Amino acid sequence: MNKIKMHISGIIQPLIAIFVGLAVGTIAILLAGESIINTYREMWNGAFGSIYFLSNTLERSIPIILAGLGVAFAFRAGFFNLGAEGQLVMGAVTTAIVTVYLPFQGVLNPIVAITAGMLVAGLLSFFAGWMEQRFQINLLISTLLLNYIAVLFAGYLVSEPFRDTSSAGGVPQSVMVDEASRLPKLLEGMNVHFGFVLAIILTFVLAFVIKRTTFGYEVRMLGQNVFFAQYGGIKRKKVMFISMLISGMLAGLGGSVEVMGMHYRFIEGALTTPQFAWTGLMAALLANSNPIGTTVIAIFLAALDTGSLGVERNTDVPNAISDIIQAVLILFISAKFTFAFIKSKKKEGKK
Amino acid sequence: MENLFDLSLINSTIRMMAPLLLAGLGGAICARVGIFNVGLDGLMLIAAFIGVAANVFTNNIWISILLAIIGTMLFSLLFGYMIIHLKANMIVTGIALNFLAIGVTTFALRTIFGVQGAYYNNEMVGLPTWRIPIIDDIPVVGNLLSGQSPVVYLGIIATIGMYIFLKKSVLGSHYDAVGINQVAAKSQGVKIKTIQYQAIIISGILCALGGVQLSLGQVTMFSENMTGGRGFIALVATMLGQSNPIGVFLAGGLFGFTEAISIRLQGLNIPTNFTLMLPYVITILAMFVFKDRTQLSAMKNSQGSSR
Repeated sequence: MNKIKMHISGIIQPLIAIFVGLAVGTIAILLAGESIINTYREMWNGAFGSIYFLSNTLERSIPIILAGLGVAFAFRAGFFNLGAEGQLVMGAVTTAIVTVYLPFQGVLNPIVAITAGMLVAGLLSFFAGWMEQRFQINLLISTLLLNYIAVLFAGYLVSEPFRDTSSAGGVPQSVMVDEASRLPKLLEGMNVHFGFVLAIILTFVLAFVIKRTTFGYEVRMLGQNVFFAQYGGIKRKKVMFISMLISGMLAGLGGSVEVMGMHYRFIEGALTTPQFAWTGLMAALLANSNPIGTTVIAIFLAALDTGSLGVERNTDVPNAISDIIQAVLILFISAKFTFAFIKSKKKEGKK
Repeated sequence: MENLFDLSLINSTIRMMAPLLLAGLGGAICARVGIFNVGLDGLMLIAAFIGVAANVFTNNIWISILLAIIGTMLFSLLFGYMIIHLKANMIVTGIALNFLAIGVTTFALRTIFGVQGAYYNNEMVGLPTWRIPIIDDIPVVGNLLSGQSPVVYLGIIATIGMYIFLKKSVLGSHYDAVGINQVAAKSQGVKIKTIQYQAIIISGILCALGGVQLSLGQVTMFSENMTGGRGFIALVATMLGQSNPIGVFLAGGLFGFTEAISIRLQGLNIPTNFTLMLPYVITILAMFVFKDRTQLSAMKNSQGSSR
């Protein structure tokens, strides 16, 4: 009986959140002076209206999923990695530069370039972990500050030494990726690319690692209780270094596949303006760092983004509406409402 | 180097650190009661926007500041309600608050003013600069301390006031008690929720002043996401200063100083991105010197609330 109640409350919470989110969205639409039904129809169409729009949504979810998985993995071990944005950008810029300078094109090129990007991004988060371990420098601060440094450094790389000078002026960007080395699209003429497959595979791999391997057990234990874990002989240093490295590599992969499969170059601001990393972070936290949950929520948040882009194209409502609805959703999902029957259950426990 | 370091550098340091200092103090008062406030950035952004919007409609700087403070207080109350009453995770709520602020301000900018990106208006009344009678006459210091906006002075007053409040007053010691051990504080009859709400409202007011200084201090304009992560820097200043008002003042000063220098360096042959990086690099280096201890309790609480 209690199990059913638990399930119901588990469903009620997101439903309330979605309802409130849409209610706030409705108020915003009214303020903008648009028809509500029409706007929400445009939102639905922009996210799932056709195969083309669905593919856009899935494509947008790729960096969000991967950044989210990275954050989730570190968080499972009890480490807060706020540096997903910097790691994403470093992965992307490294990949964009390496792919151009490799002497060969073809299948091997993206593999090498993406691996390089992942390594650099992983080293960035590893560096933050190392500073925490060696000098007790708060991870939250170091990862946060490294974001700014990484984004500015990547911006420098594509505006000075590795700039694409063939196109005059405009936004700083790197040289185009060779046609032979690009990640394949999943469907002809659609945006969604092979990176999505990688993201889904990695979701299940991570879920398996956390649930079924010795290392996953160490990560979980360390995340739950540091003292118990160390008493049980788990080495905090080792687990932390590995989990931070993996965390950064995942976020970096998000940037790398975006370069090789979507933009075909590194464009300054293209990965930071849409707030991919922060959306991923929220997905991870909302899903309580469960890999599969993170991915599902990431796709949902991506759908809100693409949907509101559709709204902006076809109505007078600005796409900032997605930020508003997302924020309200998150506020209400993370809040722990106490329902009457949960309270009564507590009383039963006291008998 | 003659032209790199001069008195106007200190003057611009004081000006640049003001928003960071105010928001940093807001973060510090929250940290003192065991709340890790990641929403500083959003609070500043909301205030910056309300300040500009109210200014356009009223043309009165004081009413604008007042409205910005009230609006930001309501916003911080929402944050407080979420984490105190509904036991939501502090970091999730804080980040959601930042998103909400970006969304609401961008949305309002486009629907009210019908512009994308940034809104300029020459009709707006910016913050005045005050000349302080006695200090103004002192040869060197006069140029430094006088002729700043009232918000800058408020930042200095808030630092001293908060220091005295936390160190000398009974209520201030209650704040610390709540931050150090909630159970013990409760057993002594300290009203935990009330105190946490007070701290959050105070941080809302301080962030509001910082945000107003951003949008109405130097330039009278609002641009989308104009805080540019300053709230996060303020958060770093909070931690670097170990949630101690004087420490936050010094940390904010360090950041303002490096920011002022990085603007100076742009005249030299160094790529802009490297000069912009300077404040962050210096802050990381400063972390090696100042170990942070106080924030740990706030962090532990926030981890606890995520379960």
